[in-house]
Amino acid sequence: MTEGEPLIAVQSVRVAVSESANTTVRVDGVSKQYDLGGTVTALDDVSLDLSAGSYTAVMGPSGSGKSTLLNLIGGLDTPSSGQVVVNGQDVSAASEAERADIRGTEVGFVFQTFNLMPRLSAVENVALPLVFDGWDRNRRRERAVSLLSEVGLGDRTDHVPSELSGGQRQRVAIARALSTDPALILADEPTGNVDTDTGAQILDLFDDLHAAGNTFLLVTHERHVAERAERIVHVEDGHIQSIEDVSGGEH
Amino acid sequence: MDTGESVRITLRSIRAHKLRSALTVVGVVIGIASVITFATFGASVEAEIVGDIETSNAGNIYVFGTPSGDDDFDRTLQPVFTEHDIQQLEGIAGVEAVLPRGIVQTQSVRHGNQTLARQQVTATRPASFTPGVLVEGRSFETDEEAVVVNERMAGSFSENLTAGERLTMTMPDGSERNVTVVGVVNGTRGEVPVSEFARQPRVYVPIDPFYESVVESPSAGVRQRAYPQVTLVVDPREIPETQSAIQTYLSGESDARSLSADDTELIARSGNDFVEEISDVIERITRFVTGIAVIALVVGAIGIANVMLVSVTERTREIGIMKAVGARNRDVMQVFLVEAALLGTIGSLLGVPLGLLVGYGATRYAEVTFSLAPLWMALAVGVGVLVGVVAGLYPAWRAARVDPIDALRHE
Ligand SMILES: Nc1ncnc2c1ncn2[C@@H]1O[C@H](COP(=O)(O)OP(=O)(O)OP(=O)(O)O)[C@@H](O)[C@H]1O
Ligand SMILES: [Mg+2]
Repeated sequence: MTEGEPLIAVQSVRVAVSESANTTVRVDGVSKQYDLGGTVTALDDVSLDLSAGSYTAVMGPSGSGKSTLLNLIGGLDTPSSGQVVVNGQDVSAASEAERADIRGTEVGFVFQTFNLMPRLSAVENVALPLVFDGWDRNRRRERAVSLLSEVGLGDRTDHVPSELSGGQRQRVAIARALSTDPALILADEPTGNVDTDTGAQILDLFDDLHAAGNTFLLVTHERHVAERAERIVHVEDGHIQSIEDVSGGEH
Repeated sequence: MDTGESVRITLRSIRAHKLRSALTVVGVVIGIASVITFATFGASVEAEIVGDIETSNAGNIYVFGTPSGDDDFDRTLQPVFTEHDIQQLEGIAGVEAVLPRGIVQTQSVRHGNQTLARQQVTATRPASFTPGVLVEGRSFETDEEAVVVNERMAGSFSENLTAGERLTMTMPDGSERNVTVVGVVNGTRGEVPVSEFARQPRVYVPIDPFYESVVESPSAGVRQRAYPQVTLVVDPREIPETQSAIQTYLSGESDARSLSADDTELIARSGNDFVEEISDVIERITRFVTGIAVIALVVGAIGIANVMLVSVTERTREIGIMKAVGARNRDVMQVFLVEAALLGTIGSLLGVPLGLLVGYGATRYAEVTFSLAPLWMALAVGVGVLVGVVAGLYPAWRAARVDPIDALRHE
């Protein structure tokens, strides 16, 4: 944390944002425990709202619960208690099949390790969420090709991931995250596996997509990455320590 | 999720593990091919035998005695059907011809300087040789010192026997009888239905003057010729009625009944009865052997299940990815079921032609006409797909249950 940045009390922020009409994500009193012999509390009574079109970064030390928070919002996991609402849908109360649909249509994931299907081409990877969303083949391809050109890979559509560089793979993953036009993009250390220049290009792409109206929640432990966002949520030991507003603070 | 896409994903996965998939498919191919081979061979043998009998013998009724509960053909040689019986049988409505048969004992049959020992010589009536069975020459006539031979017999000598040549038969008492071959046949009217390939070399002689077995006829009170076996040619439209009339006579007032031991059953059996019985036996054997081949198929199925479990473990991360981008459990299940079913399908599609090929080879080797068993083939393909699906069910279910977060963390 840099010195002199204002720290805002968690509770007051939550109340302030929750009153906003266009809330994309509402996390309300969420806890997550893992039972492995003893009980590990990954998240403890966390509340957080994300408004539509916002760009939020989550920072914190390793093991503080950042990924857990992201997974709960994205419907990959269910909270032990509390409520998660994404685009009006209660993820925490959804059935397994409903969560699958939410993952497919309401959120787009971007992972540190890209997580592309190794034997599918770039265009097929981008189209994969559309397969599960029931699009027909031609429309899938059309959409995937246009997204790939949007992220600057119009000439790499038929390459498989192993034929692409790390930065290109991450751009395929970003195109995939955009394919169903989700309400929210969740990125867990998207620049963690690429060099600084490539990471900067990916963050530039995020800025463009944010400017185009997409909502971002990005996990990182690098300050300069987090500062691309409008605000930074500081997590420690499963708690939100503070929320730092960096709007307009572009360096 | 549309099937086209799961097939595409599956094909990629199979292509990525060519050897492994090929070996798995081989297991199914062997299973399906064995089933098809045995089923086809069984069907061919059955069609051959049944076809032979049906074409020539549907309207025949065979009459013989057999000890109760024993259906053994070898035990039917007691000469109990007297001339009186023959006359009575000729009088039954629907009977067109009565063809008694007897065995004439000989030591050997000689042609030129070639002697064949222990030949079957059958005494019968000229009516046994219809134009349809004659290959060359003519039938003998009653009282003629002439014989008819079947093609096997004609071919038993170094030079094929033809009509007009002479044979010498040596009788049990050492005396010799010179006879003329007047015809060559490829079967006889009213012979016990056996397939072409089971046919023995045979010499046929007229009852007069060769056949001498006599008994005293209880009803006529005089000594008469008696035969161990009689075939009746009946009107094909009235087989059941005629058959039961014959049976009634046999079980009632016939000489054969009086002359036979009490535990001997006198049986009138139609060609159709034989067809059914033989079909039944062959089918039972085929089913048994094919059943054994099914074991190979089960082994193939275990191979698929095994490879699918490996595949699920290897692709755990892919499962996580699919789930993260919106795959429901049933989508994941579908991907793996399609893969298993595809392995099974490819296996059966390759196994069917292979099985047919081996089955064809077997029929050639056994010298029977090749017949297809379409039902078994359809069944084999169906079973192949089913084997894949069933073998894939548990692995696919395991795949569907994978936790997405664990899966994405999986290396
Ligand atoms: N499946 C799990 N089973 C048991 N404990 C878990 C599981 N997932 C996470 N945890 C625990 O929960 C805590 C938070 O983990 P999480 O992955 O959210 O951390 P993180 O902030 O993302 O860390 P990093 O920066 O290293 O990725 C950790 O103590 C971790 O050990
Ligand atoms: Mg993490």
